[in-house]
Amino acid sequence: MTEKVLAVENVTKVFEEGRQRVEVLKGITMDVAAGEVVALEGPSGSGKTTLLSIMGCILTPTSGELSVAGAPVHPSDEGALRDVRRRSIGFVFQQYNLFPALSALENVEYSLNVRGVRGRKAHEEARRVLDLVGLGDRRGFLPRDLSGGQKQRVAIARALAGSPPVLLADEPTANLDTATGAQVLDLFRDLAKGERKGLLIVTHDPKVRRIADRLVGIRDGRLVRDGADAVAA
Amino acid sequence: MVSLARRNLFHDRLRFAITVAGVAFAVTLVLVQVGLFMGLLDKATVTIRNASADLWVTSRNTPNLDFAHTFPETAALRARSVPGVLRADNLIVAFMNIQLPSGATEGSVVYALEDFGLWNLPWSVTAGSPNDLKRGYSVLMDRSAELRYGPFAVGDTREIQGRRFRIAGTTDEAASFTTTPIVFMDYRNAQELQEQLRGNTTYVLVKLAPGADRAAVQRELARRLPYNDVFTREEWAQRSRDYWVKSTGLGMSMGVTVFLGILVGIVIVAQTLYTSAVEHIKEFGTVKAIGGSNLDIYRILGEQALIAAVVGFALGAAFSFVARPIMAGIHLNVLISPGFTAVVFAGTVLMCLGSALFSFRRVAGIDPALVFRA
Repeated sequence: MTEKVLAVENVTKVFEEGRQRVEVLKGITMDVAAGEVVALEGPSGSGKTTLLSIMGCILTPTSGELSVAGAPVHPSDEGALRDVRRRSIGFVFQQYNLFPALSALENVEYSLNVRGVRGRKAHEEARRVLDLVGLGDRRGFLPRDLSGGQKQRVAIARALAGSPPVLLADEPTANLDTATGAQVLDLFRDLAKGERKGLLIVTHDPKVRRIADRLVGIRDGRLVRDGADAVAA
Repeated sequence: MVSLARRNLFHDRLRFAITVAGVAFAVTLVLVQVGLFMGLLDKATVTIRNASADLWVTSRNTPNLDFAHTFPETAALRARSVPGVLRADNLIVAFMNIQLPSGATEGSVVYALEDFGLWNLPWSVTAGSPNDLKRGYSVLMDRSAELRYGPFAVGDTREIQGRRFRIAGTTDEAASFTTTPIVFMDYRNAQELQEQLRGNTTYVLVKLAPGADRAAVQRELARRLPYNDVFTREEWAQRSRDYWVKSTGLGMSMGVTVFLGILVGIVIVAQTLYTSAVEHIKEFGTVKAIGGSNLDIYRILGEQALIAAVVGFALGAAFSFVARPIMAGIHLNVLISPGFTAVVFAGTVLMCLGSALFSFRRVAGIDPALVFRA
């Protein structure tokens, strides 16, 4: 469990609005290993979504180093960041962000198309990951015909499609009831372990701790705790 | 490959229907309006195109076929003496009054020749024969005249310029730009009806001898008839068309119609695509977050615009082509050539893709980080 699939070192992020300068991240260093589940906790405004955006190559840090799948990422190159997102990162969003006009299967297949996987290969892979999340019998359903838990499973399948080494999840249980949330978390844990994905979950939900190998806390742009002990705390 | 563009477009059927209706409306407007104009222009030159004259001698500065001026009929004799001329005959085209059985007076355009058969005029005879025109005061009347004159039959009589004429036959397709009905009669009879026509003609039709150099004959005719103009068939047809297009404001009017059609299309397509783009902004953010580029999103919008263009054009063109026989029933000729149809199709595609540019600007600045906002 030592192979680091995602790492940031001394990352800062400063937003400037007019004359105001807001330092949201103040030198964060952390990593996620293959097959490891890390929970990132913090109050609103602590910088956790900004950190997730930087680690997901969506936002560029003001300073610091970032590496994904063992390779350093050059944040100044938008094309390179897009390439990393395409090849190495799967996202799961709080609002699912499924395409309403596409069926479950097409949602997954389309994300593969965007990643450059086309035709039969994309189709087969989409079926495989939907089977993996237990939605083999809901492939043709539109998102509006799926429950919240099922939608999140489709979103997880979409993130898994193409086998990226890193999964990033933003509040994945926020819109789910307790039982469904627990099922989704169990699914996350099983997939991360079974498929050897590095999984970073940004959350307010204390139940995430149950599946996390490690808990990272963030306050005012700084890490306040990081370690397996923190999970037990 | 999954097409998000198509699925989104057909997912919101009402919006798609509105977009397609807008494009179809613009296409129909342009095709029918311009088709009607082209049909009218076709009428303006239908006689020139059907008459078997290689050259037309007109009075100086005659603007178009219908607005003829007189000149001495001896011009035909001079024309006949030019080497390379096989035949030259006088043709009178003149507006005359016709008295209807109702007592009303209407206008008519009289075409008068000594021998119609030699010049393929009239070219479509539906009853009687041009030879009948030699027998006393007889006319051939075009069927389209029924719209203005009411029903008539072969054997009926009508008064033209106060002289009683027997309708000896009927023709088809002979029409003028001004929609004034065309009546064919003998050359000498026509000269009797109007003082200014006595000893005068309005045109000399010239047929070239086999192998004659058309340009050389045209130059020689112009030299020998210095107070006339000499045109080839194509030049004369073009001059007649140009008059109606450029001198009457009809060309400008058509331009405005086409502009309005395009404007309506652009506004509707741009508005619906833009609204759709705004409503799907989070989806586009997701596309970017999972590794898609602006180009991927432009492709989505471009494909939607293209589909709207193709479906809208197909509907608009179908409607226009269905309208043609209906309008022909009321003697309105909607002329839609394959070339013009292709131009309108290309214009429709450009119009829709151009409309999508407004949306391109909106989506270009999408921040993929918006996917993390609830």
